[in-house]
Amino acid sequence: MDYFIYDGSFQGLLTAIYEAFYSKNQVGGILREDEYQPAFFANKIPVEADLQKSDQLYLAIKNKISPQSLRKIYYVFLSEKKETGLLIYHYLRLGFKIGRKIDSYLNHELVARLNQLSGKVSREAHLLKGLLRFRKIEGGVFYAPFEPDYNIITLLAAHFARRLADQDWLIHDKRRGLAAVYNREEWLLTDMVNLPDLRLTEEEKHYQRLWQSFYQHIAIEARKNPRLQVQNMPRRYWKYLIEK
Amino acid sequence: MDLLDKLSILADAAKYDVSCSSSGSSRKNTPGGIGNGARTGICHSWSDDGRCISLLKILFTNYCIYNCTYCINRAGNERPRAAFTPRELADLTINFYRRNYIEGLFLSSAVLRNPDYTMEQLLKTVRILRKEYKFNGYIHLKAIPGADLSLIFEAGKYADRMSVNIELPTRQSLKMLAPEKDFTAILTPMKNIGQAIRQNQEEKKKYRKAGPFVPAGQSTQLIVGASPETDYQVLKVSENLYGQFNMRRIYYSAYVPVNKDSILPALKSPPLLREHRLYQADWLLRFYKFRADELLSEEKPDFDLELDPKANWALRHLEYFPVEINKADYELLLRVPGIGVKSARRIVTARRNGSLSYYDLEKFGTVLKRARYFITCQGKYYGGIPIREDLVKSRLLSAGDRQQLSLFSQE
Repeated sequence: MDYFIYDGSFQGLLTAIYEAFYSKNQVGGILREDEYQPAFFANKIPVEADLQKSDQLYLAIKNKISPQSLRKIYYVFLSEKKETGLLIYHYLRLGFKIGRKIDSYLNHELVARLNQLSGKVSREAHLLKGLLRFRKIEGGVFYAPFEPDYNIITLLAAHFARRLADQDWLIHDKRRGLAAVYNREEWLLTDMVNLPDLRLTEEEKHYQRLWQSFYQHIAIEARKNPRLQVQNMPRRYWKYLIEK
Repeated sequence: MDLLDKLSILADAAKYDVSCSSSGSSRKNTPGGIGNGARTGICHSWSDDGRCISLLKILFTNYCIYNCTYCINRAGNERPRAAFTPRELADLTINFYRRNYIEGLFLSSAVLRNPDYTMEQLLKTVRILRKEYKFNGYIHLKAIPGADLSLIFEAGKYADRMSVNIELPTRQSLKMLAPEKDFTAILTPMKNIGQAIRQNQEEKKKYRKAGPFVPAGQSTQLIVGASPETDYQVLKVSENLYGQFNMRRIYYSAYVPVNKDSILPALKSPPLLREHRLYQADWLLRFYKFRADELLSEEKPDFDLELDPKANWALRHLEYFPVEINKADYELLLRVPGIGVKSARRIVTARRNGSLSYYDLEKFGTVLKRARYFITCQGKYYGGIPIREDLVKSRLLSAGDRQQLSLFSQE
């Protein structure tokens, strides 16, 4: 059985799947290096990300299956869950057989699993579009640290590049050591080891106080409902909220 | 008075307005500008009462010339008063937005001096935001009843959503609790905004360049429990508002006893469960194609607090059930307790590829806890008990609503 090992990037994953499609042997796994566990009879094939191959597969998914499927596959990739490489591989094999109709096979095992997982990622991204908090630090950059369950920083960066288009910002995934940096023109993803000077400006402290005060006063005492509050806003996201 | 004090006073005064939705607008950012709309809306936090905070919900001022009995800001109340300047409020909005605290501004106001003057202040604020600061985030603006219509129409060019609160469902109640307000003066701007929205939609079909007018539609709010109306009366009012005024959304606000007055009911706590039932029924009107008369009647004018309105309807109409999942049309699927818009759509989509089993439904996330008593899959019934009103009802009560009840009960 062939096990294709990729570098952890989306291009790498697509390249590995591309190679797997041409494999004569049974495909046992499409794995990141850290997922792979040596086993007997396993044929380990390291794959280097190849832009031409990954682009080719990317376009084939978009045109021959559907843009929705492509989006869901990307989200599943971002989940970083185990076995997602193989799930996507099998999903694509089915997809290339039946085309865009695959999106309507909601009761098919593969489709159901893919939808479920991509839904989780999409929901966390949506939640954090609201819960991410920027702080203005010395030097004028707006800095937003967070620790998401899934690797959604690219989804957030694209959102905030459209929205907060006229300010410099930096979104920092502290769990993964990743940062998205934006300079009012474009954003790029980079590893983040050294923190910038995180001292807050006086202006920043002023607005934080205002926000905290607003948060306190907008709640209706007679309707207090902490259960509903944590149901909507799980506690693990409170760490970087200014108001909590 | 410094900004912190003003913000505290005027956020406190705004909190009884329940609307906080930021959905329905997909306004794009402009070159050099800041902000955009998110069609589905985005919640930015949840306050201690569990409600979503999406917008900077605030009053321009709480100085008021009126003395409405139910209102915390009435002229006769001794409380701290404050007013922003348009510039202060615009700056606050932008600075909250830059930190991603909010999706935009929800600006309302008590009536300072007179309705025209108040409306002009609101207009100034949004003009600074849209024109000077190139702000393209969400703006929900109150139309002040009695203000000149030309002011309200201009505001509609900048706002994503506008609203006029009816507050009390009938002319009589309004007269009793808000004697200085006039029902007609509330309905007039509502009607005009509704017409202008419709007109704008027509224009947009003809000329692509027609500017936006209240693209996220108009909404209103009804207070529940301050006046003697039944649920049936309230729901009929809602039905008419949706039909006649091109209303996008109606909010129901359980009356919180903020003032003591002999003509107000003495409630120990706000009627939250009743409010919840009205929301459920409202959803049934808007998305499930129910009519108010199917849910309530003169003889049975109030909702059952034990069971939700849809389950209640189904139990009284067992002749429609069970429905076969593979054959029932979309409208009928929507009437099955436990099957919502999402599930119904999924069923209709998935069954195109072949007949669906009970297990298939589970696989794409249909919640069957309640639905199982009302459906068959490939001819098989999975309820396990005869479809009889009393039997099914006791199962539904033990299965579903207990958790809901505890969410809405008061400690």
